[in-house]
Amino acid sequence: MKLIVATVSFLFLLSLYGCLNEKPVPPEVNLVELQEASLWRAETHLYLPAQYSEYKENLIRAKKNLLRINSQFRWFRDYSAVQTEFRQLLTQGEDLFKKLQVEKELKTKLILEQTETLRERLDVLSKLTFILHEGGPPRSNLAKAGVALSEAVILFKGNQFLSSEKKLTEAETYLTETEKGISPLLNRYSDLNLISKWKKWAKEAIDESREKDIYCILIIKSEKKLILYKKGEPVKTYPVGLGKNGWLNKRRSRDNATPEGKYRIIGKNPRSRFYKALLINYPNENDRREFQNAKRKGLLLKKTNIGGLIEIHGGSKEAITYGCIALDNGHMEELYHIAGIGTPVTIVGALNEQNSISSILMEMQQGYGQKKTP
Amino acid sequence: MRAIRYLVLGLILLTFLVACGKKPAQEIEGTQGSVNAVVSEGLGKYAPEDEKKLKDELASAMDEIKVQDNKTFKNYDKAKQMLAEVKKNADEMKAALPAKKEQAKQNALQAQESAKGAVNEAKSLLAKAPKGKGTAADIQALKGDVKGLEDCLAEVQGLIEKEEYGEAVTKANALKEKASGVASQITQALEKVKAAKPGKKK
Repeated sequence: MKLIVATVSFLFLLSLYGCLNEKPVPPEVNLVELQEASLWRAETHLYLPAQYSEYKENLIRAKKNLLRINSQFRWFRDYSAVQTEFRQLLTQGEDLFKKLQVEKELKTKLILEQTETLRERLDVLSKLTFILHEGGPPRSNLAKAGVALSEAVILFKGNQFLSSEKKLTEAETYLTETEKGISPLLNRYSDLNLISKWKKWAKEAIDESREKDIYCILIIKSEKKLILYKKGEPVKTYPVGLGKNGWLNKRRSRDNATPEGKYRIIGKNPRSRFYKALLINYPNENDRREFQNAKRKGLLLKKTNIGGLIEIHGGSKEAITYGCIALDNGHMEELYHIAGIGTPVTIVGALNEQNSISSILMEMQQGYGQKKTP
Repeated sequence: MRAIRYLVLGLILLTFLVACGKKPAQEIEGTQGSVNAVVSEGLGKYAPEDEKKLKDELASAMDEIKVQDNKTFKNYDKAKQMLAEVKKNADEMKAALPAKKEQAKQNALQAQESAKGAVNEAKSLLAKAPKGKGTAADIQALKGDVKGLEDCLAEVQGLIEKEEYGEAVTKANALKEKASGVASQITQALEKVKAAKPGKKK
């Protein structure tokens, strides 16, 4: 009996020893835990979510197996399988680190390229909107694009590549909105029919100057230039300022657009508020006809007026007008003395398919970044 | 008779040991509550590494509980210790969180103030520009820029209201940079305007 009791007691104490004294787990377990923390800190879960999830799943599985082993009596514990599992995890984690590094390098390259492309696009649109006197939503969007681009750079410098990418996308959206906003206006300058009509007007004016041995004035909006012709030859060229919406053809009063067409000087004002002024016969017959047509079609309100008092005047070539053509005072002085009543004035949008506006439009349509791609 | 006494004593001891190994449900609940509380208050936003550490520590404690759950002679002492440590950390982090939040908020407000100053400077410069005909063409475009800057300033305010202080700081800093650029462009444009005169309607 004593022997039985002693045996039971021995086995009981042995069991207690087995249960209460933990056999050390393989060192790989701790290493994997440290590795997982490092992977997380390196934002692997954000850059490589699928691979990181797979790693985590394997880790969870391995931990479950470890728990199962740890729950066994010490005598029966065999960590060899779990140890292999954790070793494999270490290898998987190391691979993940390598992939992460490659991914980050790739992101860095892409972000830098995209930033450069967007900045170039921003610069082009900025210049273009300055030329177009665009002060509305397209320009506001451009400012927002600039801010988003700066944010992207700040985040990139802080190694927050994913946030930087989001900001680049935001900047791109604003740039696209800007392009959409100005495209209708720009399309006029790549409209072949319109350019052909403008060319015809210019040719007729120059021919008249040659045939009648007179001066004629040609104003090219896309170049913001006034060219003075004598006997069909250009003798002077002056830079000019246009209306606030000068890139459009004037259709009505207060639209701030500069008219396009064939006009003549019908008045001279030596004491203009804008130094000196030459009044042209806007609206001419063609303008009136188009105005009535637009009204009939309901494109203009019935009470709308056609407007008038379009002048070539002084002030500054940098000035923005309500539709007139503005020159620097020195240039106006010269022109005022040369041009007389009846001098033909032809105002056109552009004379070439490849004008300053259409070339920008083409660049926009082709995509700014494409030319950088080898 | 004596043997039976030993056996009874052994059984009592066994019962005592098994009874001692009661699952620490209250501790688990308390710790999980503390962790959830600090996480829901936005620990991840202000100290993401702390949040990760806390969650990992809680997971380790829970693993230890699972180990003991599967044992015949359960001993939750280590698990209890671990849970207590996690709870202590969670409570400490929760206590420190308002200060971190406040600091982040102050940083955002400071950045917002700087950006506002730069935007206001651009606005006041633009206000000096002559209105109407004769205004330099550039001024027209810059008006749009200032509108865009004001929109961005409103976005900064929105981010602060949503407690997205980090994003607010980044936007405000970028905005300040852009607004300063716009202000210098306005100054240059104003130089051009000097010769221009007010005008009439067309």
